[in-house]
Amino acid sequence: MQVTGSVKGRSSRLIRSVSSLAGAAMFVAPLIALVAIWAIVVPLFNVNPRVFPSVGAVGTAALDSIRDGTLFAHVAASLLRVGLGTLIGIATAVPLGIAMGVSPTVAAFLTPLFRFFSVLAGIAWIPIATLWFGYGFGAIVFVIFNAVFFVVAYNTLLGVRTIPHSLRNAAASLGAGRWTLLTEVLVPGALPNIVTGIRTGLGFAWRGLIAAEMIATNVGLGYMLFVARDFYRTEVIVFGMIVIGVLWLLIDRLLLVPLERATIERWGMVRRA
Amino acid sequence: MKTLSLRNLGKTYFDPYAGAHVTAVHDVSLDVEPGEFISVVGPSGCGKTTILNMIAGFIPYSKGDILLDGKPVHGPGPERGVVFQSFALFPWKTVLDNVGFGPKMRGVPKAERDRIAREYLALAGLSHAAHRYPNELSGGMQQRVGVVRALANNPDVLLMDEPFASVDAQTRMTLQEELTRIWQERKPTVIFITHDVPEAVFLANRVVVLSKGRVLDQIAVDLPRPRVWDELVKDDQFKQLSARVLQMVRAA
Repeated sequence: MQVTGSVKGRSSRLIRSVSSLAGAAMFVAPLIALVAIWAIVVPLFNVNPRVFPSVGAVGTAALDSIRDGTLFAHVAASLLRVGLGTLIGIATAVPLGIAMGVSPTVAAFLTPLFRFFSVLAGIAWIPIATLWFGYGFGAIVFVIFNAVFFVVAYNTLLGVRTIPHSLRNAAASLGAGRWTLLTEVLVPGALPNIVTGIRTGLGFAWRGLIAAEMIATNVGLGYMLFVARDFYRTEVIVFGMIVIGVLWLLIDRLLLVPLERATIERWGMVRRA
Repeated sequence: MKTLSLRNLGKTYFDPYAGAHVTAVHDVSLDVEPGEFISVVGPSGCGKTTILNMIAGFIPYSKGDILLDGKPVHGPGPERGVVFQSFALFPWKTVLDNVGFGPKMRGVPKAERDRIAREYLALAGLSHAAHRYPNELSGGMQQRVGVVRALANNPDVLLMDEPFASVDAQTRMTLQEELTRIWQERKPTVIFITHDVPEAVFLANRVVVLSKGRVLDQIAVDLPRPRVWDELVKDDQFKQLSARVLQMVRAA
């Protein structure tokens, strides 16, 4: 029993690592193809660098911005804003979502407000946010917070509502009180939806961040794109776009996916994608 | 151990789809002695699950009393343990932590509740699964966890709501035999709801037949223990009792 179990475990781990390698190759192949087409088409048609840069120019722009430290400054500024806005958003949205999930009165009262504000969530707040917080850090963090807050709160509410009633009954008949019901059942039970909410919210936040940085600051990836435009530096713009995309993939793969693996996938609450 | 008494228990609720009041339980009186194993059988809609949910405190009752050792009970409580048809294990807790949940709610320290949980897991032959999550277990194993999770809290009454209805036939027989064995070792007071007549007779000291929200009859089952299917399927007394109960249920 022990032996077959461990052999089975080892072989399935091997299969998993081979298939994840194949998965990575499948993921990278279209990107490589895209870069190859780019490397061929731009010199072939002698594209004006003011319209679209060559691969080499983007590479040079990348090296320059790494060497002079501007890339690091922009990335650090952007990540700090996203991180802080997201954390504040989650910290306020989860308790509110749970309160709505537990109390029909709270839910009924807040639902119309949620409908209204979720349409406005994100960049529609930039003008007034800059009036409240001035141009810069505060306004952008507020926009991020706003993008994350509504989607996480709504998903938390859904999560609490979809917990099977038998689990609450089981906890109550085993002696759980109101507070332990919250910590032992409602929060972990709502976690699959909370994670979905965080994922969607972070996606919104990331887009909102770039938009807000184009308007309301003087450092950050959005600002980097916007300023480069003024000088027809298409290679800097394209490099910035690549950085934005790659950073998002890294956040997703290194932060969100491992979090899901360790929790809700392990518990069998969602199927592995 | 305490006596459980139902006194003229009734449940009427408003059915929004029918637009009328429906009486699920008319008038049920029943006394359950400490250490007794009672099966409650009856056709669908006879009110058996409603009665169990009222005893568990999941739904309020409309009339009568539910008394535990003479005191009325309202709402769920740890002195009435429940085993659910859907298992209702916490997916985010390991088997060990599921079984230790009741003691945890009583404030038992971690080391002690792990010891209790391991003791009960051993009772159900589940020691090897302590650190697995429920989704990694078969249905039969999940319900074994469900049973010992309720038992580990040392309830005065164990309420079981068609607990073996969703496992396959072979596993169900094994679980039934294990349950009788555990009952003999620990002698908990059990109310077991089922629509499966042979199951009811196999497990119980007394079978209560319900019909349309009333107790139709009660039949004592004094078959010797330990009870094993291989022997009981050939046993004339078992066959006669099952046939008698089945007749009543079908006529109900």
